[in-house]
Amino acid sequence: MALTQQEFAFVSGLVRREAAIVLETGKEYLVEARLLPLARRTGTVSVSEFVARAQRERALADQIVDALTTNETSWLRDREPFTAFTDTVLPDLMERRPATQRLRIWSAACSSGQEPYGLAMLLEESLTSSRQYEIFATDISNEMLDRAKAGRYSQLEVNRGLPVPMLVKYFQRAGTEWQVGDALRRNISFQKVNLAAPLPPAQPFDVVFLRNVLIYFDLETKRSVLRRIRSLMRPDGWLFLGAAETTIGIDDGFERVVAGRASAYRPRAATTAPVGAMRKG
Amino acid sequence: MVIDDSRAMRLILRRIVTQLGFEVHEAGNGREALELLEKMDEPPTVALIDWNMPEMNGLEFVTAVRSQERYRQITLMMVTTESEHGQIVRALAAGAHEYVIKPFTPEAITEKLALLGLVPSGTMS
Amino acid sequence: MTSPTTEDLQAITEQVWLSYLDPEGVAPFLPSEETPALPHVIAAVSVTGAWEGHVVMAFSASASQMAASALLGIEEEEVSRDDIADAVGELVNVIGGNVKSLLPDGSLLSLPHVATIDEGVNKWPAAVEVCRLQGSWQNEPIAISVWTSKSTG
Repeated sequence: MALTQQEFAFVSGLVRREAAIVLETGKEYLVEARLLPLARRTGTVSVSEFVARAQRERALADQIVDALTTNETSWLRDREPFTAFTDTVLPDLMERRPATQRLRIWSAACSSGQEPYGLAMLLEESLTSSRQYEIFATDISNEMLDRAKAGRYSQLEVNRGLPVPMLVKYFQRAGTEWQVGDALRRNISFQKVNLAAPLPPAQPFDVVFLRNVLIYFDLETKRSVLRRIRSLMRPDGWLFLGAAETTIGIDDGFERVVAGRASAYRPRAATTAPVGAMRKG
Repeated sequence: MVIDDSRAMRLILRRIVTQLGFEVHEAGNGREALELLEKMDEPPTVALIDWNMPEMNGLEFVTAVRSQERYRQITLMMVTTESEHGQIVRALAAGAHEYVIKPFTPEAITEKLALLGLVPSGTMS
Repeated sequence: MTSPTTEDLQAITEQVWLSYLDPEGVAPFLPSEETPALPHVIAAVSVTGAWEGHVVMAFSASASQMAASALLGIEEEEVSRDDIADAVGELVNVIGGNVKSLLPDGSLLSLPHVATIDEGVNKWPAAVEVCRLQGSWQNEPIAISVWTSKSTG
């Protein structure tokens, strides 16, 4: 009944591609244990047969990715970027943007939705009621987008780094789960976007959250992703990366700035960036 | 301080917060916890509080602690199976600061303590 | 009035297992159609008030031992009878509490009770026996007993 090397290679390749999770050899037991309930549910006799079917059926492959990446995402655990967002970035934008201008925020790898809903909560709490905003939430995985759109979270998920005043204010109980309310949903739109391919046209963004995505790309892809994102940002916009990520040495079009206790990145002003280049040329 | 009538639950919580560097005092219900507070030289940083306990339940304990100025500094975090929307609102109204619903993973406790600024936010369990 | 469903119970059980018994997700609870053999340990909480009933968990001897070992973080061989009572009592308490949250407002949850069925004698480690009447009826033994709960702490 044990998975063959080839079956394990298929599964580990799949989750590496789709979820950037590395399953080392020796984790066969974990794969088998997580896939057994799926195999039973679909009526296949063994995990091996289930894996064989998943190589032909996209929907089953999605289920595998889901089953092996069930670690709940935390909402606002990483306090520094979110504090920088509310205490530094929003006051800056409110000052620079006319009161009637809608703020545009992009959650570029929204996964199961905790980041865009979390940002919506912070905006609801921080902005005056007349100030409008919209959040563009994108991900490469259809499965993740469906979950994010549904906005239903298990008890284990709402336990993860979500301040309880936010839970009672913006969620309702729905059976054993919690449902995000309309106050947060109405300003978020979801779309499938592959950051490693040309981006769909969009109005420029004031703030982009691109956390823990770049680490999974090679240098060349990182560079092109950052360049494409920069082309969709306002010249005085803000980019947040994961704590282990930077634009330094990858894309000189950004400069690192300190925002509270976090680092953020801003497009280098067009007038200063080319100076060195001009002198040379 | 860990306040729960279940020894199993006290043990689970003790393991988690000990790893975060906290010294743990245990009480089996709200009344025991109040007595323990009286005896302590310095009030604890945070209390993790079950709701349903004999003698004095967690909500009564929160109300009692909030009524005393000298305990103002203690952060009160409910850790309970009570998970109806209205119950959580009641606990917050009584003065609880945070709330974890049972069952919980160790990360849930760590992250809530991080939100409260009681452990560094980068702490991974 | 809607009652909890098997799907609700499954969602709750999955979360309890991931939290306390199977944090890696490698040994999940697998539902099956078969009715298990007679249990060795029974843990129960009662719901009273707006909805009346019980939430009951039944374990084989070794399942109860494994549960205590996983929950309390001790070796299986070192698990005592009290450890089992505390562990399965807490499991049924958490599951019962989550079931209660699906029930109408005004439902109350009792403290957990745990019974060990041992050679025909039952023991309730978290309770004290008040009185007992034993006898037989058409050659089959029946025992009636009254227990008062003590705190699991």
